[in-house]
Amino acid sequence: MKKGLVTITLFLLVGLLLSPCTWGRVKTIKIGINAPLTGDIPKVGEGTKYAAEMWLEDVKAAGGIEVGGKRYPVELVIEDNESKAESAVKVQTKMITEDEVLVIVGPQSSKQAVPAGGVADNYKTPMISPWSTNPDTTKDRPFVFRGCFLDPFQGPVVANFITKEFGFKKAAVLYDVASDYPKGLAEFFKKAWEDIHGPGSVVAFESFTTKDADFSSQLTNIIKSGAEVLFTPQYYNEVALIVQQAHELGFNKPIVGSDSWGSAETVNLCGKDCYGLFFSTHYAAAGATGATKEFIDRYRGKYGYVPDDVAALTWDSLHIVQKAIESCGKLTGRIGKDRKAVRDAMAKIKDFHGITGKMTFTEEGDPIKCAVIVRISEKGEFEFYKSVCP
Amino acid sequence: MEKTYSPISPDQSTGRGRIRRWFSGIPVLGWIFGALVAVVLEYYLGDALSEVLGLEKVPALFGVTLILKKPLLLPKCLMFVGLIYVIPISVVAKYLSPLTNRIAGKLIQYPYGVSAVLHLALLYAVFYIWSDVSAYRLLTLKLSLIAVMITLSLNVVNGYMGEFSCSHPGFLALGAYGASVITVLFFVKDKLFGAPLLPPAIGPYLYPVALVLGGLLASVGALVIAVPSFRTRGDYLAIISLAFMFIVKSLIENLEIVGGPRGLSSQPGWSSLLTVFIWTVLCVWIINNFVRSTLGKAANAVRDDESAADAMTVNTRRTKVVTFMFAAFWAGVAGGLYAHVIRYANPGDFGIQKLADVLAMVYLGGLNSVVGSIVGAVGMSILGEALRPLGIYKWIIIPLLLILVMIFRPTGLIAFREFDVREILKPKRRM
Repeated sequence: MKKGLVTITLFLLVGLLLSPCTWGRVKTIKIGINAPLTGDIPKVGEGTKYAAEMWLEDVKAAGGIEVGGKRYPVELVIEDNESKAESAVKVQTKMITEDEVLVIVGPQSSKQAVPAGGVADNYKTPMISPWSTNPDTTKDRPFVFRGCFLDPFQGPVVANFITKEFGFKKAAVLYDVASDYPKGLAEFFKKAWEDIHGPGSVVAFESFTTKDADFSSQLTNIIKSGAEVLFTPQYYNEVALIVQQAHELGFNKPIVGSDSWGSAETVNLCGKDCYGLFFSTHYAAAGATGATKEFIDRYRGKYGYVPDDVAALTWDSLHIVQKAIESCGKLTGRIGKDRKAVRDAMAKIKDFHGITGKMTFTEEGDPIKCAVIVRISEKGEFEFYKSVCP
Repeated sequence: MEKTYSPISPDQSTGRGRIRRWFSGIPVLGWIFGALVAVVLEYYLGDALSEVLGLEKVPALFGVTLILKKPLLLPKCLMFVGLIYVIPISVVAKYLSPLTNRIAGKLIQYPYGVSAVLHLALLYAVFYIWSDVSAYRLLTLKLSLIAVMITLSLNVVNGYMGEFSCSHPGFLALGAYGASVITVLFFVKDKLFGAPLLPPAIGPYLYPVALVLGGLLASVGALVIAVPSFRTRGDYLAIISLAFMFIVKSLIENLEIVGGPRGLSSQPGWSSLLTVFIWTVLCVWIINNFVRSTLGKAANAVRDDESAADAMTVNTRRTKVVTFMFAAFWAGVAGGLYAHVIRYANPGDFGIQKLADVLAMVYLGGLNSVVGSIVGAVGMSILGEALRPLGIYKWIIIPLLLILVMIFRPTGLIAFREFDVREILKPKRRM
C-alpha cells in the first residue's frame, strides 16, 4: 500500500516536470471548425477539414495573422458534429466556452447550422457557415454569416438562364420532398419561372422521397406534360439515376441542375448521359483561372481529387474570417470584446474577392455574389459557361 | 471467490477489501455531502488550482478530454481530479458518516418522501454548482438527464414488457413537435405562425402543460403500435414499429405548416436545468412505481409467456396498450424537453441514428432495470463526449465496448435489479 502511494506520487511529480510548460502563455488566435467528419455526409466533413488545413499551412508560412502590427499564431480546433443537431450544439458550446475560439467556421448543412447558429448568437461569437442554405441560419442573428448564396437567389438565376438560353416556356421540376435543400430550391424555381412565363407554366411539379431509386412514374408524368426542360436540384447519386431513367423513357430535352450537382461523383456515376447538361453553382473547376485554379491545383496535388464546392466555400469563409480579424484593429485579449470586434469587421466586408466570386454581406449576413453556370463537356468535365449576377 | 481460498486472515486482507471496509457505513446522504463540498471547492478554488497546476482551464469533464488530446497532461489532470474530487469526497463522506447516518436515521422516521426530497434538493445543488462552472457542462448534463428519460421509457417496453419496439424516435418526434408547436404558436413571434397568441410572460408557467400535451400526442401515436402488437411479436413487431418511426418522420417532412424538412426553430429556451431535473426525477419515480405495480408485474408476465399470463387472468391486451402509451408519454415529454434545449427540431434527427443511440443505451445499461437505464444513459452520454478528441476512433471504441458488454453480460451491465428508494435512503451502520 505504502509502496503504491510512493510510486504514484513520484510518477505524478515526474510527469509534472516533464509536461509542457504553459506558464508563459502565448496568446494564439483559435478558430473553431464544426464539421461532419462522421455520420451521413463524411465527404463534406473531409473537404472542410482539408481546406482548413491548407489554409492553416498558408497562415503558418506567413507567421500567423497580423493584427495591428503584431503577428499572432493561429490554431484550428476541428471538432466532429457527427452530422447530428445535438452534437453540433454540444460541439459549438464546447468550442465557445471551453476552447475559447475567436470565430467558428461551420457547421455545413442546415440541419446542424440552424441550432448551432442559435448557440453562436447567444454567446456572441461570430460564426460563418460556408454551405448552409436555410434562411433560418442567419435570420435575426447578427453574429451569424454564411458563405454561399441562398435558394431565393439561385432559383431565379436558373429560371432566367433557361429562358434566355433556350427560349423555353414550359418547365418541369422533379425534387426530393423530404430534403430541405432540393425542396426549397424547387419551390423558388417554380415561383421565378411562373413570374416570367405566367401561372401554370411549370407543367409538372413532381416529387419523391429520399433514397427512392425508381423515378419512372414521375418521369412519365413529366414527359406526358409536354415540358421542354426538366429542372432537378438533386444530389449526385440521384442525378445519375434521374438522368439515365429520363433518357431511357425517351426524354431527350435539356435537364438542368443546381449547385448540388457540383461533385466529382456526378459524372462518375452518370457517365455519358450527363454530357452537355447545365447546372448553376458557386464555381467551376475546369477552365478556372487565377486564384481559383491555384486552389484547385494545390488541393488536387495534395489530396488527389478536384475539390467540390464545400471545400471552395470553406476556403473562402476562412479567408473572410482572416480578413475580418486583420481589419479589426487590435486584439485586446478579452475574448468577448475581440469577438464583437471581429463580428463588426466581418459585417463591413465589401467586395471580397474569393475563389467562388466577389461577395458583400447583407444586413442578414448573407452574401450577395454571382452564380456560375457550368456545362458538363463531352469529356465529362465541368466547363465554365457563363456568370450570372443578381 | 478468491477471498475464501486466501490464506490471509480477514484483518490483513487486500488493499481493495480495506478500502471497501473503510468506506462501508457511509449513507447516500454522506456521499452527496461529499460531492457538494467538492463542487463548492471547485467553484471557488478550481481556477486558482488549475493555474497553479498549469492547466489552461478547469477541466470540463474530469480532464478526460484534455488527457486524450495531450497525454502529457495526465499527471496534472489526475492531480486536479484528486485534489478537487477524490480526496474531499472521500474524506468528507468518511468523517461525516456518524453525523450523516444520524440525520438519515432521523429522516427515515418521517414519511420517506421528506427524506427523498431533501436528498434530491442536495443532489440538485451539486448539479447546479458543478454545471455553473461552464456552459458545456450544463448542456452535457441536461442532455444526459434527457437521455435517462428516453432510455428509461424505452426500457419499459423493451425490457419490462419484452417487446422489441423500434418506434421510440417517432414518439420523441411527436413529443418534440407537439410541445414546440404549442410554445412557438402561443408565446413566440415566428415566421411560421406569426405573432404570439398569448403574452410571452406567462409562457414559462404553461411550459409543463405544453410538455404534457406533447407527451399525450406521443401516447396517441403509441395506440397505433399497440393495436398491431396484439397479434405480432418479436421481429414482426420490430418491423411494424420501425415502419411507424418512418411514417412519423415522413409525415412531419410533408407537413409544411411545421416547417417540413426545414425543421422548426425559434423555440424559447425554457428547458433550464431545474426544469429538466424535476421532469427527470418525476419520470424515474413514476416509472419505478409503475414497474413495481400490478400492471408492471403484468407486463413482466407478458414478457415471460403471453399465453400463460393470459391463462392466469392477466389482461394482456390492456397491459400492452397501457404500457405502450405510458412509455410513449415519457418519450414525448423527453422529446419536448430536448427540442427546447437544442431549440430546433428537424424530422431528420428522429431517424435510425437516434434509434441506434437509444437502443445502445438500453442494452448497455441493462434490461428490466431502472438503475441500469440510468447508468446506460449517463454512461453513453458522458463517454460520447469524453472520447470526442479521438475523432473517428471513437466509433471503433464505443461499438467495441458494446460488443464486450454483450459477450460478458448479455443482458447489460445492471440488469434485472430492483430500484428500492427506501433501501437507498436508509442509514448504514458500520459493519
